[in-house]
Amino acid sequence: MMKRRQFIGAGAALAAVGMVSGRAFAQNKQIVISNWGGDWNDRTVKFIEAPLLESKGWKIVRDLNTAPQRRTKLVAEKNLPRGSLDVAHLSISDAVYVHNNGAIANIDFKKMPNASDLVPEITTPFFLPWLYSTWEIVYNPAHVKTAPTSLAELWNPAYAGRVGVTNQHYQDYIQMASLLATGKLHDFEAAKKKLLELKRINKPRVYESHQQIAAGFKAGEIWIACNYRARALQFQHDGIPVEVAFPQEGAALQTFGAVLPKKASNKEGAYVYMNALLDPKGLAELCQANFYSPASNKVELPGELGKKISHTPAQRKKLIPPDFDWLSKHDAAQLEWWNKEFV
Amino acid sequence: MFPALLLVAVFLLAPLGLILRFSLDVYDPSTLMKGVFALDNYVKLLKDDFYTGVLIFTAQIAAMSTAICLVLGYPVAYFISRSPSEKLRSILIILTVLPLLMGNAVRSAAWMVVMGSNGMINGLLLALGVISEPIKILYTPTAVVVGLVSVLMPFAIITLQSVLDSIPVSLEEAGRSLGYSPLRTMVAVVMPLSIPGIVAAGAICFCLAMNAYATPVLIGGPSVHMMGPLVFQQISKVGNWPFGSALAWVLMTVTLVMTIVSATYLNRKYF
Repeated sequence: MMKRRQFIGAGAALAAVGMVSGRAFAQNKQIVISNWGGDWNDRTVKFIEAPLLESKGWKIVRDLNTAPQRRTKLVAEKNLPRGSLDVAHLSISDAVYVHNNGAIANIDFKKMPNASDLVPEITTPFFLPWLYSTWEIVYNPAHVKTAPTSLAELWNPAYAGRVGVTNQHYQDYIQMASLLATGKLHDFEAAKKKLLELKRINKPRVYESHQQIAAGFKAGEIWIACNYRARALQFQHDGIPVEVAFPQEGAALQTFGAVLPKKASNKEGAYVYMNALLDPKGLAELCQANFYSPASNKVELPGELGKKISHTPAQRKKLIPPDFDWLSKHDAAQLEWWNKEFV
Repeated sequence: MFPALLLVAVFLLAPLGLILRFSLDVYDPSTLMKGVFALDNYVKLLKDDFYTGVLIFTAQIAAMSTAICLVLGYPVAYFISRSPSEKLRSILIILTVLPLLMGNAVRSAAWMVVMGSNGMINGLLLALGVISEPIKILYTPTAVVVGLVSVLMPFAIITLQSVLDSIPVSLEEAGRSLGYSPLRTMVAVVMPLSIPGIVAAGAICFCLAMNAYATPVLIGGPSVHMMGPLVFQQISKVGNWPFGSALAWVLMTVTLVMTIVSATYLNRKYF
């Protein structure tokens, strides 16, 4: 006959086993991801997470914040025994930053069937590319009568006071000026001279972000600027009178995707999540909603919109991946120069 | 008392100490910072005309906004304090506090609608034929002062009103009975007695304006540099924690020193 103490002990042991197995089960089916909020997250949920993961029993826990917060969290957690994130959405520039700080693991692309046909120019061992766009010329055809072909068009004195610049994209503008001056993205000294020339000739209007430059185009304050093709198409979709032109000098790439934290608790779940990100159907629907190009060649975008989003074979030859390691090292100096001399 | 002090020590002083320590480190792009004890960041800040210029400009904008809040807020606070009906007084206080229920960013966004190229002011001036094309109001220092005054005014009014409430009306009546005009009664009796309120309201407005973030960013735009956005830019955009921490410490020290010096001067002069 079981004594009272033995009975209590056995009960506690059973309860403990139940708790452990319950947590293990919850962990197996739970993926903690970190992403931007707003439309970006809404569309990720709508086209990827809800139909491809949550409907199949996966529980997605979302930690929504800004990229600097995510970056800091990844770096801060690298020395902990277990991190709080399984997957983090980042731009390639932020991915390089956390990679340099030893916070993320290399990705085993073979574990993801959908990753078999990624765009090679934007794939690195530690970053799963997902969406990309290119830095191009955006203009109002009512005032810029002939479609621009070169970045030099921003320096055209005919557009004095009508050139727009976004403060948040200081590195993109510095790269653009360097590309125009030297044919390469990363000649900071040449870029400085070129941008000061732009300031002298055309006195560009400086806006803080995408939203403000869109309002500037809408109000007729500016006629020409540079921005990502995806953003220009978004502006068009929102009724703002702009067209987008691919510069003959080439276009710098900006890529968004996912990284695998070194201390992720559920690495297997992370691979399931990242594989879902590249699902051809889900990704095609997402790209038609946010106008970014898919990082997988398996994805086909139909119709007129598909043509607008996709790059032609000639354009694809002129896509230029920036050296994000170089950019990361020179970021502070570039921002300081931008603040002091250009804005 | 003790638990409250402990909370302040842990959650306010400890992070401040940490930030002070960071400010003595040296920035390194690949590892964020190198753990040394160096004054490099402070030397850079104080030697560079750009950063000292931003600090001086921030203090000027904050002082101007504070002065405007005090000048415009004082009559309103006096009117509320001396309103004959308790009901009217309550309504006026609620109306004063109402803007504080909205976020600072929301109020700044509303000013963007008012002051933008296609905003209400330009629309009105164009309709009246005063101007032929929109003028630049938004993204100027003037716009920042207007935005800050709107944000800080409730703090000034409520602080001044609470001090004016404590000044007995009988003192004003005594002044009037001795032949003072209403204006002289105000200048010679009420205002000197309300100096503590003016000092407190001024200190609150000045501190908030010095550290403002949303208003300079949204209404000032990229060309109007103030210290708050600069600290955020260094820490969050480029990850330069040491320099951002030094900027934060200098901002905090200058704000504290200016507030204490001006409050001490006013208190000594009038008491």
